[in-house]
Amino acid sequence: MRILIVEDDPDTSRFVARGLRELGHHVVTSADGRDGLFLATEAGFDALVVDRMLPGLDGLSLVKALRAAGNTAPVLMLTAIGGIADRVEGLEGGADDYLVKPFAFSELAARLQALGRRPVAAVEPARLSAGDIVLDLHRRTVTRAGQRVTLQPREFALLAELLRHPGRVMTRTMLLERVWDFDFDPKTNIVETHLSRLRSKLNAGFETDAIETIRGAGYMIRAA
Amino acid sequence: MPGPGAKSWWRTTFGLVALVAIGFGLATLVVGGIAFEAVHEELEQQLDHRIAAETAALINEGDDGPDGVARAIGRREAARSTASLDYRLVDATGRVVAGRLEVQVPAAPGYLELLPHVRHGERRIAQSLTTRLPGGYRLLVAADRAVIDAMDATMIRLFAGAFGAMLLLGIGAAWTVGAVTRTRLARIDRTALAIIEGDLARRMPITGQGDEFDRVALTLNRMLDRIALLMANLRQVSSDVAHDLRTPLTRLQNRLDEALASDDRLAQAAAIEAASVQSRELLDIFAALLRIAEVEGLGPRAQFATVALSALADGIVETYRPDMETAGHVLVAAIAPGLTLSGDRRLLQQLLTNLLDNALVHTPRGTNVSVTLQRRATGIRLLVADDGPGVDGDVTRLFERFTRAERSRTTDGHGLGLALVAAIAAAHRGQVRIMPPPGFGVMVEWPA
Repeated sequence: MRILIVEDDPDTSRFVARGLRELGHHVVTSADGRDGLFLATEAGFDALVVDRMLPGLDGLSLVKALRAAGNTAPVLMLTAIGGIADRVEGLEGGADDYLVKPFAFSELAARLQALGRRPVAAVEPARLSAGDIVLDLHRRTVTRAGQRVTLQPREFALLAELLRHPGRVMTRTMLLERVWDFDFDPKTNIVETHLSRLRSKLNAGFETDAIETIRGAGYMIRAA
Repeated sequence: MPGPGAKSWWRTTFGLVALVAIGFGLATLVVGGIAFEAVHEELEQQLDHRIAAETAALINEGDDGPDGVARAIGRREAARSTASLDYRLVDATGRVVAGRLEVQVPAAPGYLELLPHVRHGERRIAQSLTTRLPGGYRLLVAADRAVIDAMDATMIRLFAGAFGAMLLLGIGAAWTVGAVTRTRLARIDRTALAIIEGDLARRMPITGQGDEFDRVALTLNRMLDRIALLMANLRQVSSDVAHDLRTPLTRLQNRLDEALASDDRLAQAAAIEAASVQSRELLDIFAALLRIAEVEGLGPRAQFATVALSALADGIVETYRPDMETAGHVLVAAIAPGLTLSGDRRLLQQLLTNLLDNALVHTPRGTNVSVTLQRRATGIRLLVADDGPGVDGDVTRLFERFTRAERSRTTDGHGLGLALVAAIAAAHRGQVRIMPPPGFGVMVEWPA
């Protein structure tokens, strides 16, 4: 992917750029909001990482200007801790996802990956599937290899979120945000517990593990 | 002390009272003027009536003609030595027929208000009525205006005196009120200046008279007490933060020193990983502190929407049920359906999550945990309680930052969870309190 990083803190910028290059991405960096906007509109990027606070032009205005110009490249916005309203503002302003500093690189990589290959379709299909698992959002049923699996509502939501991004890592915080709508990290292992219950229900009677655990990163369902 | 601009001198207490005094004085003048005019007119009319009645009486007495009238005049003048009425009767040629009044009788008949004449060698003013009699005779009856003039003079003296007294009283009152106000305000001003200079313990003086100055001073003192309390809190929080961050920072440094000192690559890697965990923990503490500060700083109706509280509580309880069961706890929920609250959904989720986290982490296996959400007459009540070993010591401090109960010393945490619960409850105009033993419980009440 071609990725543009607009971030004025040199340490963060270098750290993110190096990590993304190691993953095989082509990375361009900018430390100024105005330059960043210019670069983003000129060259076609597959994804943007934009800091909220920038010299020249702040991140929110940059994204708004970009969207106003018809550019639809996915944007991951970075922000310093302590902004209950910031996240909502950023998403309403046109950013696709939001990450609070400080963050682990694996978290950023997973989120960028989820953004970069996002399906264009705005309407979600009624059925989500990956491999031998089929989830019907309307009937609220789940089958594995044709066999009915009964899930609790949270487990169902968790599986649906994983199936929306087959072959991509979903981190713990991504799942907390999207399944529970938590913008904070509880002290207890609710994600792990629900995932292990979901996993044992899906795996009952099967040899292969339906959900892969990526150590230090998150969880993933294989596309095939 | 710089005074107010010259343009607004009247805004001072002295100016305001002086203005009122001048207003009262002018009102006295106007009322006096009207009264004067009314009395003056009334007296003049009374004189006119008297003159008219006398003229009619003279003509009536002398009904055989001018000679009879002349005789009647003669009788009256002879009878009254100090009469206030004077007469003059002249014939068609202007020759005096009767009457002592030495005056030129006007040619035209009718009233004349100001008739100058001489009486006992004195120049005086009279009010008169001239009447035509048959045969070209003219009769003049005049009354001396001295009565009216005396009354006029008395009234003018009276009103001038009243006006003067009013003005004097007003200016005196203005000066007194101004001086008293200035003195009292100066005392408050001096105290405020002393506080600005750094004497933060100073308070406004109270005279104990219970007047409005005392009330203002009392309110100011309450405000100063509140500020002092907040400042003490702030100091406490900053020193707590510094103190509580020292331990994890020291541990972090120890791990890094270990890594530096070691030659074994595996041991180094382990130490660096431990250091990384330590720094993550530090960042978590900062995030929690910032979160509390942010919630405490929320304005009264900060981006609040109606939150389906019952549904939210149901969802959180369902989320925690597996963990509770794994930990060998029994989770019982009694959630009244359909309750709503104006608030921030995520914050309310975090409030409930923190309470359930505590119940899950700090209690032994087999503990019963209950979540109760009810509508009360006074509002909505949320109770998260457990029948675990409870908490010893000062429970009121549990809502402060970095306060950890004895039962949680051995488990993870930094004593910020309940502080955030209290901050979120307060941001939603709710109140939190710790339930009395047995067990441990936190109650949150939101007013209706």
